[in-house]
Amino acid sequence: MYDVVVIGGGPSGLAAAVEAKKEGASVLIIEREAMLGGILKQCIHDGFGLIRFGKKLSGPEYAELYIKEVKDLEIETRLQTFVTSIKKSQEGFEIIVTSSKGMSTIVAKTIILSTGCRERTARQVFIHGTRPVGVYTAGTAQNFVNHMGYLPVKKCVILGSGDIGLIMARRLTLEGAKVLGVYEIKCTPSGLTRNIHQCLKDFDIPLYLSYTVTRVFGEPRLTGIEVAEVDQFMRVKPGTEKYIECDGLILSVGLIPENELAETIGVKIDPKTKGPEVNEKMMTSVEGVFSCGNALHVHDLVDYVSEGSATAGKNAAKYVGTKENEANVSSEGMLSLVPQRITEGEHEIIFYFRTLCDRKKATLTITVNGNEENKIVKKYTNLLPPEMERVKLKLNVKGGDKVHFKLEGE
Amino acid sequence: MFLDKIAKKLLKAGLFDIEVGFENGSVVLRGELDSWEDIVNAGRLAVDTKNSRGVINDIKLKGFEEPPMKMPLLNDDKYEGKKVDVLVIGGGIVGCSILRELSKWNLTSLLVDKEYDVAVNQSSRNDGEIHPGIDLSPDCIKVKYNCRGNRMYPKLSEELGFTLKRTGQYVLYTKPIGSLVWPIIKARAKKNEIAIENVSQKELKKRQPNVSDEIHGATYYPNVYVVSPYEVTIAFAENAVTNGAEIALSTAVIGMEHKDGKIYSVKTNRGTIYPEVVVNAAGVYSDRIAEMAGDRFFTIHPRKGEEMILDKKASALMDTVMGRFDISSSASHTKGGGILITADNNLLLGPNAVETPLREDLSTTPEGIDMVIKKQQTLMPRISKGSIITYFAGVRASTYEEQFVIERSKKVDNFVQAAGIQSPGITAAPAIAEDITKYCIEAIGKNISKNEKFNPIRKPIPKVRELSTEERDKLIKENPDYGVIICRCEEISKGEIIDALNSPLKVPTIDGIKRRVRAGMGRCQGGFCSPQIVKIIADHEGISIDQVAKKQQGSEILVAKNKGE
Repeated sequence: MYDVVVIGGGPSGLAAAVEAKKEGASVLIIEREAMLGGILKQCIHDGFGLIRFGKKLSGPEYAELYIKEVKDLEIETRLQTFVTSIKKSQEGFEIIVTSSKGMSTIVAKTIILSTGCRERTARQVFIHGTRPVGVYTAGTAQNFVNHMGYLPVKKCVILGSGDIGLIMARRLTLEGAKVLGVYEIKCTPSGLTRNIHQCLKDFDIPLYLSYTVTRVFGEPRLTGIEVAEVDQFMRVKPGTEKYIECDGLILSVGLIPENELAETIGVKIDPKTKGPEVNEKMMTSVEGVFSCGNALHVHDLVDYVSEGSATAGKNAAKYVGTKENEANVSSEGMLSLVPQRITEGEHEIIFYFRTLCDRKKATLTITVNGNEENKIVKKYTNLLPPEMERVKLKLNVKGGDKVHFKLEGE
Repeated sequence: MFLDKIAKKLLKAGLFDIEVGFENGSVVLRGELDSWEDIVNAGRLAVDTKNSRGVINDIKLKGFEEPPMKMPLLNDDKYEGKKVDVLVIGGGIVGCSILRELSKWNLTSLLVDKEYDVAVNQSSRNDGEIHPGIDLSPDCIKVKYNCRGNRMYPKLSEELGFTLKRTGQYVLYTKPIGSLVWPIIKARAKKNEIAIENVSQKELKKRQPNVSDEIHGATYYPNVYVVSPYEVTIAFAENAVTNGAEIALSTAVIGMEHKDGKIYSVKTNRGTIYPEVVVNAAGVYSDRIAEMAGDRFFTIHPRKGEEMILDKKASALMDTVMGRFDISSSASHTKGGGILITADNNLLLGPNAVETPLREDLSTTPEGIDMVIKKQQTLMPRISKGSIITYFAGVRASTYEEQFVIERSKKVDNFVQAAGIQSPGITAAPAIAEDITKYCIEAIGKNISKNEKFNPIRKPIPKVRELSTEERDKLIKENPDYGVIICRCEEISKGEIIDALNSPLKVPTIDGIKRRVRAGMGRCQGGFCSPQIVKIIADHEGISIDQVAKKQQGSEILVAKNKGE
């Protein structure tokens, strides 16, 4: 029996495990792949760790710092081990796993779900036409290029300006493929501003806003795509369709937190983040189950993944099973806000949010039970939906209180 | 006389300048029209099953040139000069079930298909329902094969180790007509011994709580099953191969030579084959094969259907087959789609039905998908577009008679046809195979003995995700690869993938693996597992990773080495 079992050995799980161990808990990391590090293993570009370590690291370097700590702290790991189900039990939880050694049951007092996210696929953005080879999500293309050393496309179009799409535009160009352009359905880019500059502008790759891919052609290999302009409601403007000859279509159209396991044990999911609802300890609606990293909500920077996950690890280790009263957190003007609940008492809490739309100047007002007198006001400039904001607040709440975050400004 | 009647009907429908003739016992239409819809309509109006064998509709579509059949890239002489007793053309469920049936006899048989795998077209692009046979005219040939086939499935599932789920089917009333139509349904069901049950609105809500409140009740058919149609086709094919039959993939028929009123040889891209008997199971191209063989008396007018698959989470909504009762969309065409729980526990919606001049158009359209989802939402409002994980299209091989063509040719002595097979083709296939095999043996014309060594049992690839913890543990102890999960969404192990690569009809491509073990069929659609599967295939087959293809030759996944490598 372990105090804390961490499911998922990517950046989030590693940070959570390290922190839990430092708190004195017995910890096990379960990882389905053969190596720790998660998706960072294939992110060979730099820019990781600026906030947390004050230096530019590559993905594998960033992961290695944590993997070393896991080793130094002698945290147990089970690699190439896959969780097939979780059951609640008297001691806490029974986790059934499969591996090349057979089936086994692991008993845990608490669970940390750091299962990451997956990419939205071509079908989920309703790309129609033939079914050729040559259509990949950016992460899959990244795996082919960075892990296997081969290009899956020679001349391609990228749909969606999410960060992985931008990174892959540069990467494919560097490895000898021609990237004809990045097409984004929204009127603003989806990725970080720094990536627009470093990955597109520096390589003369055009970015087309308010465009989408309507159809693909070719069988068995992609021979071309049709792009079209969209209006403000993202509907195709008839007559704007244009054919582009290419052998590849790379998609960077969003990430979806993976919570299929969480849902089987009844964890409540926030429709905005698509991840579990948590309190400031990162505990989900199910007692003893914690969530962090991209499974909780999709992050833009791994540094914040590590920070939030450490909070989850620390609190899982400290968990004693006493049910606490909680205040509810609601928001307006935001795409998402985490945590969604706060336990009773006075704490310093880090909130992560994304603005609903671009705002040059913005005001964030936080009230408890609609009490305007004690409201907290924060000022922001240049808020963009792709960039997650972090705010540390001191709050004193009682169970049943209603905490409201209001973000406004043009 | 009846030809005049047809000519009049065409004129009345505004279809002018159509020449109506009579050849090979069939009505022949010639001319040119502006729209495909008109051409299909003309074909339908020319149907007269009393006075003719079928309709040959050769009306041209103005400004349209039918694209040539998609050919495999492969060209060799592997089958040059090959002599076989029976050559089966077409590796769909019909061809493969015939091949297995043939392997019960002491004769040599070869199946050819132009695709990279069996069940690539119609047989993998349908919902896999084993129909009750009620929505067909009670005397037609389709219903005969449907009812016979339906009863054969439980035993076949045991022998061949494919999943057969007894789901039952609800045919829902969108209007309060239950009491009106019940006596008619009862009479039909009695005639073909189909089990039925009248289900009231209240009872229906109790059994299927997510059905729309607008539904007034249903007829329930308990003997409806669901299978994975490609799993069944592959199972037939593998068992046939194990019992000595041969399958040649990427092998397209391009011509035939005749001698003495018989087919003498069949030309393919891989050499000329000399068969005693030729079986036409060529699906959407079956009229072309009939023409090559010299006995064309029907026409395939391709009818496309689009279907979609929902995330497994949506399967909480229902666990059966549902369709709407609709008098207008009479049995002869299509039921217009429904909602179905697949053999692999996803909800499947569709199909729609769109007439097209393109036999191999497998493309999907936003309009088609939206139409299907809207239609099914009227039966089950909680179905949402957001839970779609994939969609696909298939093309039905429909004749104008909307009937199966199952016979030994009256004109070409050594030619047997299983043509024009569409819904309920999956259900009917095993029964069709029995009769076709009988015709083949008759056509060979000498005494053929039973194959005493025939083994009806096929050992399926284990599905580790469906095993109990104890069974699964035991299996992993025997082979640790069963414990290494490669496809995380569908929980498919490396052991299962390697089993597929060692199977009697191996197809070492990404889609070949996907269709055998489901790796890549889950919600991430292969995003995480496809790079790993590329490596497993390359390792197992001793090829380099850039030789691994998605489907046929020419669809290799990796196209160039990195510049830096």
